[in-house]
Amino acid sequence: MMKYLATASLLLASAHLATGAALAADQGITDTEIVIGDVEPLTGPPALLGVAASIGHKIAIAEANNAGGINGRKIKYVLEDDGYVTARTIQGVKKVIDVDKAFAMLGISGSGQSIAVMPVLEKAGIPTVIDVAPVKFLWEPPRKNVFVVGQSYEEGIIHLVNYLADKNPGKKWGLITQDDDYGITVRDGFDTVVKAKKLNVVYSGNYKKGQQDFSSDMLQLKESGAEVFLAGGIIGENIAMMKELEKLNIKPVVGIFWPGRVEPVLKLMGPAGDGLYAVDYVEPFAGPAGKAFLEKAKGLLSEAEMKGINRYSMTGYAAAKVLISAIERCGKQPTWVCTIAELEKTKNVETGIMAPINFGTGVRFSNQKLQIMQSDFSTLSFKPVN
Amino acid sequence: MQYFTQLLISGLAIGAIYGLIAMGFAVIYKSTGLVNFAQGEMTMITAYIAWTISTTVSGNVFIVAIGAIIAAVVLGLVIERVVMRPMLGEPVFATVMVTIGLAVILRSSINFIWDAYPHGLDVGFGRTIVRIGTIGVRTGQIAVIVTLLVLLAAIWAFFRYSKVGVAMRAVAADDRTALLMGISATRVHALAWAASSVIAGIGGVFFALSYDLSPAMFQLGLKAFPATILGGLDAVLGSGLGGLLIGITENLAGGYIGSGMKEVAGFVMIIVVLMIRPFGIFGERDIERV
Repeated sequence: MMKYLATASLLLASAHLATGAALAADQGITDTEIVIGDVEPLTGPPALLGVAASIGHKIAIAEANNAGGINGRKIKYVLEDDGYVTARTIQGVKKVIDVDKAFAMLGISGSGQSIAVMPVLEKAGIPTVIDVAPVKFLWEPPRKNVFVVGQSYEEGIIHLVNYLADKNPGKKWGLITQDDDYGITVRDGFDTVVKAKKLNVVYSGNYKKGQQDFSSDMLQLKESGAEVFLAGGIIGENIAMMKELEKLNIKPVVGIFWPGRVEPVLKLMGPAGDGLYAVDYVEPFAGPAGKAFLEKAKGLLSEAEMKGINRYSMTGYAAAKVLISAIERCGKQPTWVCTIAELEKTKNVETGIMAPINFGTGVRFSNQKLQIMQSDFSTLSFKPVN
Repeated sequence: MQYFTQLLISGLAIGAIYGLIAMGFAVIYKSTGLVNFAQGEMTMITAYIAWTISTTVSGNVFIVAIGAIIAAVVLGLVIERVVMRPMLGEPVFATVMVTIGLAVILRSSINFIWDAYPHGLDVGFGRTIVRIGTIGVRTGQIAVIVTLLVLLAAIWAFFRYSKVGVAMRAVAADDRTALLMGISATRVHALAWAASSVIAGIGGVFFALSYDLSPAMFQLGLKAFPATILGGLDAVLGSGLGGLLIGITENLAGGYIGSGMKEVAGFVMIIVVLMIRPFGIFGERDIERV
């Protein structure tokens, strides 16, 4: 009898410990609330993307909360500012996981910051959906708990350069890139097409991050006789380049990448910004999907937040929708294990602002469909061209 | 030749902006012996205020200019009174650290007060392109070069002939003796901060006119600081000219050597110049009695 009682006690104790461990893993959930964490640059120049992405998350969360939350639990959104400083990103993610006890993560900041924070996310095992800066390192090799919504920078550039090369056969090419990981990715994508299509590159420049005056760079571009130009700046850099080209009285065919495909940029570029080609995997705001998104946001955001919306709000919204729907599918008692399993099962999730989102067994990258757009200065918008 | 001329004009234009901000550094250093690491941020704040005036009050160029100057004076005076004056007599290192802290606060305030989007300062002037043959230049670029030259002359006259200018030079040379002569060092310091804020702010407004406003604008301070080192940290006029030199060197290096050299060229020049004249081209050599 004593032996039986001892065995039963041991089994009970083990069961209790196991439950305790499971509960410890399932942090961030109470009977009424579920915590989703995020770390973004909310100050400094990259706040343009960080604030917009967080607004996208807020739209999806507000939408879910208005519909009663996730199986009755309201979502609490915890947002930290990293100022685009990697050390602060790591600090912020640790704080969100260890102090705020987030159940899942969205975001996270820029490409370099996401890469740096990967060991922390992996070690914690927290379900995470990354949406701001998709770079291959984040899904190759696939990490159990980290999913990425979007398309790779390299694929984006390849798609854009291929399109421009087919449209402008035999033309001379120019390229300028930033001297960081973003610039290297842009250059790698460009070089892939240059080799494949044997493009004639007559100008290749590299500028230091933070450079604001592009007068000598654009003068070199003019002297080189480039007819198609890939402007590898982000926001302010592309504006400065277009204005210099206008000053120099030349108008090559210009391609820009999606980090710079932000509508207010067109106003600042003036007429020089008309006819720019851009590549993206989210719908333009001028189209029906973009208009519907803005309409939806109006009812859920403050006036100040509405002003911060850009394409990153769409990517943020899509990622949050995917995460929320995965947690929802786990039923009344969601766990990390279940959420990760459900994220993996994500199939044709419709967001209305990009192609349906899919993951799969061992697939942690949604590989969104790309489209080419062209800017229209008269309406300050981008419109699809294919 | 056209290529060279275009590079030269663009270099002069951006150099004039560096020069104005560099003069802001020198005015404070000359009067207080302090390097203000928040100079770029003060420049940015003044430009943002000018933009706010242009979008909310009036887009009239004179109203924007007067409003921006008043705002810059207030900004300089407030910083001096609230942040810097309590640091009088404290070790220089601590005071410099305060300016670094101030820089971070001012930089962050952009996102809190305004936003992270770039904005254009449109006052109906400055963006028009003037073409001379195949060379293009914006009216704002011409205006900033002229403004720098006018300010250089005005500041020379101010330090040479005005009572206040002489008082500022006296405080810079020996603040205790100046105090014994009845000059209020704190007033001179306050004036220096206000003047520095206005001069650098003018540079910021011209930058916003020719280029755009963005939270990255504070980096102008990082470009202007080498200009003031080159011209001489205690030489207000020299700092202005240092800015022109840096701007021209950067552009010629970028145009003839390559894009990557643009950011490096100015610093290479500084290293070479400082090896020959450690106190800058126009700076005064420190003479110590032994």
